Amino acid sequence: MKFCLTIIFVTFASLSFAQPNCNYFLHIGDSLKYKACKETENAKGHYQFSKEYQIVMDNTIDIDSTYSYAYRSKSVAYLKSGDFLEWKRLIDLAVKYDPIGNLGYRASCRHQFFKDYGGAIVDIEALSKMTNEDIGHSANGVYHLEVVRALCYSNLGRKQKAIDIIENQLAIEDYMVGIYDYIHLGVLYLELEEFEKAKAYFEKQVEYNDLAENHFYLARALKAQDKIDEAKMELEKTSSLFQKGYVLHDLYVYPDDKIYWSMIEEEKKALD
Amino acid sequence: MKNIFFAYACVSFCMLSCISNPPEEKEPYQRWVGDISFDEKTDDPDFQLCYEEKYIRQYFNFSKGVQYKGEKPAIIRHFKENYKPVQSDQSGLLRIRFIVNCKGETDRFRLMGMNDEYQPMKFDSEISNQLLALTKKMEGWLPVEMDQMDNMTLDYYQYLIFKIHNGEIIEIMP
Repeated sequence: MKFCLTIIFVTFASLSFAQPNCNYFLHIGDSLKYKACKETENAKGHYQFSKEYQIVMDNTIDIDSTYSYAYRSKSVAYLKSGDFLEWKRLIDLAVKYDPIGNLGYRASCRHQFFKDYGGAIVDIEALSKMTNEDIGHSANGVYHLEVVRALCYSNLGRKQKAIDIIENQLAIEDYMVGIYDYIHLGVLYLELEEFEKAKAYFEKQVEYNDLAENHFYLARALKAQDKIDEAKMELEKTSSLFQKGYVLHDLYVYPDDKIYWSMIEEEKKALD
Repeated sequence: MKNIFFAYACVSFCMLSCISNPPEEKEPYQRWVGDISFDEKTDDPDFQLCYEEKYIRQYFNFSKGVQYKGEKPAIIRHFKENYKPVQSDQSGLLRIRFIVNCKGETDRFRLMGMNDEYQPMKFDSEISNQLLALTKKMEGWLPVEMDQMDNMTLDYYQYLIFKIHNGEIIEIMP
């Protein structure tokens, strides 16, 4: 199940920033963008960090300085190397020339890479006002942008607002639940000491995509309810899943609500 | 007649000047975005890469995430226990980027700062020097192993970003 979900999300993430179909620009009569688009095909096979890749995108911008895809493509290497200054300069240009296509992406990068919660919220809320369509997913495809917004509010201390946002999202018919949605919602309820609701979401996550984090936070909820033996059992499951690598994971950053081995050891000591 | 000749000479000179100016050069990119060359003024000459410069990777290249012994709790503990908050009204992000070699040793540290509006900002030296010194003291960096080649260990670029609010560290990335 986890594997299937990962494939779905990664595929979505890839598609969401796929090379545009250049013929589309011909179809709408924009020959300059068609030419720029064709130029980007020369980047094929070059690593996003490489000078060859950057130069192709510069050539694209020389052809059409309003081609947002080129700015966003250039920005990726700066994002991943933590160069917030050049990343922001480039992604702002991408947003300027295609706000609907790039606001959500910029927002999720602000959250994921730079913990700029306020900036991410502003971007997502601006995007929501611009479109009646679904606002889409984060840069890595893991979260719906509404969940990103909720995580940002959570990090700013507005837990109840974060809960409301995720609950509203889950209530939407046909919403495809994110692989970590229930964990985050459970943690939010745990932080507000609503233990029964927290437990219910961790149990849902167990059925959906079982991770060490579910059992770890479930153990904390049980401990708070003085159910020590049950909490210990959950910590054993936590250890087992952790050692198998079933944990919240992000290639680039330490994600929200991720647990670490030292946290499990401390929790075990606290229960003994 | 003299005036006409003078005007012609001026125009010609201007035109030639324009022609002789080469077109603006594109940014002189290095091998990869963010590559850090050795600088004898700041870098340790005894720090050795295990492989050539062209083989330095990025910390995320092998899908394992940040490789630090004890992971994020250990990183946070290191700075929490050793960083002395500075009386300052400065807030923003400070990035320290560096190389971890295949033995887990570090050098070629470079700093970049910005304010809350993503504009360049130089942090008080009391903040930046302290963070740089503490980053240099970190001893838990693990070499990135490449599964495909018998777990061969590699040299790679790593960064830490400190989110600072009024001189205090409030978060550490990645």
